[in-house]
Amino acid sequence: MRHLLLAVPVLSLAACSGAAEAPLLERPAGAEAPGPVALVAEAAAAYDGVADPALDVALSEPVEDSVYPRVGDPGVDALHYDLDLAWDPDAEVLTGRQTLLLRSTEDDDELQLDLSPELRPDDVRVDGEEVTWRHEGKDLVVVTDVVADERYELSLDYAGTPLPVPAPTTRGDFATNGWTTMPDGSTWTMQEPHGAYTWYAVNDHPSDKALYDISVTVPEPFTGIANGELVDTTEADGLRTTTWHLAEPAASYLMTIATGDYVLSEDESASGVPIQYWVPRERQRLARTLAPTPEALAWLEEILGPYPFDTLGILLVDSESGMETQTMITLGMTDYTTSQAVVVHELAHHWWGDEVGPSDWRDMWMNEGMAMYLQGMWQAEEDGYTVDELMDYWASFEDEERAAAGPPAAYDPATFGESNVYYGPALMWHELRRDIGDELFLELVRAWPAEHSNTTSSYDEITAWFSERVGRDLSGFFDAWLLGETTPPRG
Amino acid sequence: MGAPQAYDADEIDDLARRAQDGDRPALEELLGAIRPRALNVCRGVLPHSADAEDACQEALINIAGKIDGWGRRGRFTTWMHAVAVNSARSTYRRLKNQAVPADPQETGGGSLERPDPRTTSVIAGTRLDLLEAMETLEREHPQVVEPLLLRDVYGLPYEEIAQLVGAPLGTIKAQIHTGRKLARPLLRGDDA
Repeated sequence: MRHLLLAVPVLSLAACSGAAEAPLLERPAGAEAPGPVALVAEAAAAYDGVADPALDVALSEPVEDSVYPRVGDPGVDALHYDLDLAWDPDAEVLTGRQTLLLRSTEDDDELQLDLSPELRPDDVRVDGEEVTWRHEGKDLVVVTDVVADERYELSLDYAGTPLPVPAPTTRGDFATNGWTTMPDGSTWTMQEPHGAYTWYAVNDHPSDKALYDISVTVPEPFTGIANGELVDTTEADGLRTTTWHLAEPAASYLMTIATGDYVLSEDESASGVPIQYWVPRERQRLARTLAPTPEALAWLEEILGPYPFDTLGILLVDSESGMETQTMITLGMTDYTTSQAVVVHELAHHWWGDEVGPSDWRDMWMNEGMAMYLQGMWQAEEDGYTVDELMDYWASFEDEERAAAGPPAAYDPATFGESNVYYGPALMWHELRRDIGDELFLELVRAWPAEHSNTTSSYDEITAWFSERVGRDLSGFFDAWLLGETTPPRG
Repeated sequence: MGAPQAYDADEIDDLARRAQDGDRPALEELLGAIRPRALNVCRGVLPHSADAEDACQEALINIAGKIDGWGRRGRFTTWMHAVAVNSARSTYRRLKNQAVPADPQETGGGSLERPDPRTTSVIAGTRLDLLEAMETLEREHPQVVEPLLLRDVYGLPYEEIAQLVGAPLGTIKAQIHTGRKLARPLLRGDDA
């Protein structure tokens, strides 16, 4: 059943004052300084200190990445990030106050997080005591004695003008990651495989999932949007503060944040999941293209079981790719990225990617192979051809993609997220399906995320699990498809 | 993340035919679609990734400029491959020649300007402070330099820059914006 979109303009009608920007060679006489945008009063802490058992769901076993070892630190197991952010779109200054509850994974005299050099930390404290720290490049090193498995509260203030970082890819639809500021002062972020550290101090690695509470203060008519449920909106003195609660742990690459003059529409899935669409005011008509989202969700729930989170949203930004940011999908505003195929893809990631994802970036195929396969099943049904026909088509260029960017689980680090991690692994799942039959295959596609909720997985873990559940050693099959320089023969 | 849009050889041929017939959006889409292939070719000639990126931009510009040279008989990707290889080689020769130190006599005994090989011909002698600012930017924020130069020196529209650089329009706008912000304090007589 199609749900009516109820346009609920919660924002004021004031026009955005994005004055045209002068080019370098025609400098303005001097820009006037607007009033600062400061943090508003903090909300009460969401958790009752580091010992709160509600934090246990965020316990992880962080590892050092085999592809991008310079980002993330396995010494830290982040449990909860409390971020109070203020964005001044005129001065382009981000001000942050952060409280991180964490577990140390080792005995050490330092804790290390990722934090962009553009953001200057101040007043760094561990369990309320001021500590010394070093900020070396993007590494924030906090000097404090820590004991393995003990939990600590690390707090800091920071401020600066965030800049995105180059993305390790040759894809045509994105070139940088992290906090991105547009000429009108609006902002957005996409940050796979990393880049969260351009806007907060973070263990920026997929093996470390954590809970989040985020408040964003911006001048009206801007609104700040982040992951999870919008639990509070306050407006005072021309500033709007939105507060977002993410109830289940997420990897940092699955976080999103945007500010701008947005309009909210609300919807609901047949299964009762509340859905929010956040669309820039000047592109409001795009909300219509998102209307089939509940149908797409229902189609996936039929295959994968109930949507694994409490809320869902789609946030449109000025990028050209789509990202399965947990419970708040971030989409560029192109025809392709707002297409139903891409929406199905990002929704599918909420099971395969968000509920359970890879612990190391070598295994991005784990997310993309299945999301692509499910997208393919949907496309075949929608467009009236068979999945076999679609797989033949994908196979017609898969070998070229594999040759260009490397085997799906042994790719060239400079070619992150390219077609090789999508199409080859999707073909692989189809081959497994033909081998073990529809019934068992679909049972396992549903069982893998359900049985690994809120965790991460390694290559060995997922391939061993499939071998065990199928009842025979599939390691040769997986290795050939995922590590082979050439495409294995298809059945 | 959503998959990169997939193009098979037929679709690329089709885009190229439309581009030859003057369909501007088709040309832009074509350049986006072939960028990974062009970059691969350039990497083969120029292993240093920044050089390969430079060569790739140049290859795409050449492909766009010479697109009428594709005779529609063979695959467009085959023709494109040849253009990219030639382009990468000429970039290599130029980079090699420019590695020779500049003659101090010619620079008037002042500070030695080390030209940016991609932009010297246009801006040398006009705004040396701008050139120096670009060099400073190149070290800290290399990704913003080319879009900024194409916008504020060459005066190209954003969409054309996005196409030349092979990056999304939104990224280009943000990079130019960031680049201006970073470059301003470095310019002569500017204390902004």
